[in-house]
Amino acid sequence: MVEISARRKDNVKVTVDLKVNGEHHQAEVEPQTTLLEFLRESLHLTGTKEGCGRGDCGTCTVLVEGHPVNSCLMLAVDANGRQVTTIEGLAKDGTLHPLQQSFIEHGAVQCGFCSPAMILSAKALLDKDPTAGEEEVKRALSGLLCRCGSYKKIIESVLAVSGSEKGNVRDKN
Amino acid sequence: MPFQEARREMSEIKTKYVGARVSRVDAQDKVTGNAVYGFDVDLPGMLYGAVLRSPVPHAGIIEIDTSEAIRAPEVRAVVTGKEFPFTFGGAVKDQPFLAIDRVRYVGEPVAAVAAETELAAYEALKKIRVRYDPWLAVFDPREAVKEGALLIHPDLGQYRRGGHDVVPGTNICTIRTYKLGDVDAGFAEADEIFEDEFSTHAVSHTTLEPHCAVAQYFPLKGKYTLWSSTDRPYIMVRELADALGISPSHIRHVVPYVGGSFGGKNTLIAEAVAIALARFTKGRPVKVVFSRQEALTATQVRVAAFMKLKTGVKRDGRFTARKAEVIWDSGAYVSNASGVAIRGSYTVFGPYRIPNIELISRLVYTNKEISGSYRGYGTTQVTWACESQMDIIARKLGIDPLEIRLKNGYVEGDRYINGQVLHSVGLQETLKKASAEIGWGQASRQPSTIKHRGKGIAVTLKGTPTPTSSTCFIKVNQDADVTVICTVPETGGGQRTIISQVAADAIGVPLASVSVTNPDTLITPYNDAVAGSRSTYHMGNCVLMAAQDVRRKILDLAGEVLQIDPSRLTLSEGKIFEQGGGERLTLKALLSQRFGPTGMEILGEAHFDPSHSALLAANPALKGLDSRMSSIFWMFATHAAEVEVDTETGVVKVLRIVAAHDVGRAINPVTCEQQIEGSVLMGLSNTLFEEFKMEKGRILNDSLSDYKVVTTLDMPEMTPIIVESTHAEGPFGAKGVGEPAAAATAPAIANAIFDAVGIRIKDLPITPEKVLAALKEKEGRG
Repeated sequence: MVEISARRKDNVKVTVDLKVNGEHHQAEVEPQTTLLEFLRESLHLTGTKEGCGRGDCGTCTVLVEGHPVNSCLMLAVDANGRQVTTIEGLAKDGTLHPLQQSFIEHGAVQCGFCSPAMILSAKALLDKDPTAGEEEVKRALSGLLCRCGSYKKIIESVLAVSGSEKGNVRDKN
Repeated sequence: MPFQEARREMSEIKTKYVGARVSRVDAQDKVTGNAVYGFDVDLPGMLYGAVLRSPVPHAGIIEIDTSEAIRAPEVRAVVTGKEFPFTFGGAVKDQPFLAIDRVRYVGEPVAAVAAETELAAYEALKKIRVRYDPWLAVFDPREAVKEGALLIHPDLGQYRRGGHDVVPGTNICTIRTYKLGDVDAGFAEADEIFEDEFSTHAVSHTTLEPHCAVAQYFPLKGKYTLWSSTDRPYIMVRELADALGISPSHIRHVVPYVGGSFGGKNTLIAEAVAIALARFTKGRPVKVVFSRQEALTATQVRVAAFMKLKTGVKRDGRFTARKAEVIWDSGAYVSNASGVAIRGSYTVFGPYRIPNIELISRLVYTNKEISGSYRGYGTTQVTWACESQMDIIARKLGIDPLEIRLKNGYVEGDRYINGQVLHSVGLQETLKKASAEIGWGQASRQPSTIKHRGKGIAVTLKGTPTPTSSTCFIKVNQDADVTVICTVPETGGGQRTIISQVAADAIGVPLASVSVTNPDTLITPYNDAVAGSRSTYHMGNCVLMAAQDVRRKILDLAGEVLQIDPSRLTLSEGKIFEQGGGERLTLKALLSQRFGPTGMEILGEAHFDPSHSALLAANPALKGLDSRMSSIFWMFATHAAEVEVDTETGVVKVLRIVAAHDVGRAINPVTCEQQIEGSVLMGLSNTLFEEFKMEKGRILNDSLSDYKVVTTLDMPEMTPIIVESTHAEGPFGAKGVGEPAAAATAPAIANAIFDAVGIRIKDLPITPEKVLAALKEKEGRG
């Protein structure tokens, strides 16, 4: 019943050359290796999780050239020559990224399986739109599932970092 | 330290962390990617497992040919039910690890492969040939319950089972009846009698971390080690040992962080496959990770329920009697649905005083995915029926839905249906606060003639598994670091934070100095489970006692070193103070001074089990009552919803949900809010979006693009309200919150829909199609 796509294993290897969290990596991978597999299995960056393997849940989100992508859908070879950021690359010199700190302070973490993807997607949004408001945050995170239902506190955490004047969760009534 | 003594000392503790909005202690691991989940476990020499599943809902297995698969490249083991012919099941031992002579649902494991890579394992599955003899199947439990229905388990009568009744020769795998008073007399006395049927559907837990397990077998010792994401390692070990006929001491279970559970990871699922494979891989560990398709279609779902309620009331809204009949859909195996069918059914009478009641609850096999525990443990299903009918009654009698609940709702000292005297009953306060917050009684603003708004309210009550026990150790090393050694999986509920807060305050050390271990049954002592909202209460009390044991030892030691009577000393934030004399020395200084280079640690221990609590007594004067129906604490909640119904499209938009929960005492208001907000969203998602589309026993929507769960864009405005009724025996007065939270959401939404447009949806989920059909029917009635 489980249909894994028929991926041929014919010992062909291709070289990928990319930067992950600012560090240069060169490696031989099979052509069908996804970016997610490369990050988790070759680089042991297991902070990137997998929730469905087909781009539905967003749990495997990483940043490629600053843009959020589902790393389960991108081949490692397609990341060749690019800059990839994973959750492990956010804290600098022992200091958490403001979004990481905000997620902790606002209670945005429950089981935590979606937290890396949520934080990276929020970072991509704020890098592009530093004053993003509630609607923008909701839209930017709408492709990421959180079954613990932390959405409200996640949005509050992002808005606390956003420089937006709209940056308070508005009382709609 | 005895419990009563610990409680006396508790009242003297000046709390710094308990009750405060403390940041979760697991959050930093999780926002940095450092947290290791079951999904991340990676061992040297590890193989990867894959499962061949049944494509048919019911069939005999004529032959399984694995000869080609075992010769496939990189394959190390192929296993079927012939090589591993064991069955398991805590309530009814009916479930094979791998199908033995028949399959009973689409997705049932038939064979498994272990290979050097995941890809090789999946490729080898294609080389296994299975010949089936297809049989008729039954999918509707209302059909399966009938006399003469085809039997899914002809051997039901021979299965070993726990202490509940089955009906051999039928598909009824749990039956429970219960009577109190005389319902016929109650109905005779009634001014109005209401008869309604309701149903709730199967939904998936959809934990973002899929089911996964790593198992290793040590052939010479005959022992297994299992790493998996579960919420009840000790019970799983017992179940496994029982299934394999080995001692529980031969199974070690380690539980890393769990990426969500909600009741969906508390029996042998990926574990069953990993264990079966590991037995044949000559000591190499085997990792099994289910795909999302497998997680949706071949793990467990919430037990679907069909409920008939007959309720008699007086004109003033008081109950005279209720008769309830519930049919629960077990799916192919019992798993832990029997508990749902027993404990869950009782709450069909709601948190109300009803003098005469009668219940018949039956759990019935069908040829479908297995049903099991799901946040709420049956309460969610029966609350849907109870609270929907409560609204029907109120409307018919012309009584305000809030008023009728205030009038009948439990208050402190009322008796539960088995006569247990209820304590710590915050129901009325949740009703008052939730209704005030939503603006009950003020009509909703109507945006247009097409879109109509309305408000609804619903309540629930939920007990906890009783009696269950918890054990823990605490050690303090000579650097004054504290480790709580216990078996409490951190499933996302914040369990580790609550334990840390209680330990820090009860010992008198900084929160940052406290760590909590991962469960490891070789090391960490017995605890029942993270289930039924029991952890804060049970492990909280246990940690409180062990912490006081530790503190007393520390103060005795300090007294010895300082030559002061220990009763004049206190410990706070890691410093020892003398009464009237100020700070004397730090804990670290004391321990390093006293133990110095030889090394030593202070150890505390405790066991907590509420079975002797006077609070559990049933009413001995009532016949047929059972104190096992008592719960050591009861949780109460009110949800109030405001919705907008689009009468052209049938789409229901939930605008606001106010959720007031009586938690006893909030050890941490942030984690309480997380539980409440998360449950509201899960409840809303279950109610409006989630539904399995089935065709001949096969689930068609087997991905997250087709099985819809709530996203940020569907989120209503949510207001969690914490009500604190203070439980006399809870740690610092705490009860629990996680489980009951979703139960009242569905009926609150349905009742708001009625308020908005006058239609009553009785079968979940509430889809636009059903809303439009009901609107049309209403129009037709004129």
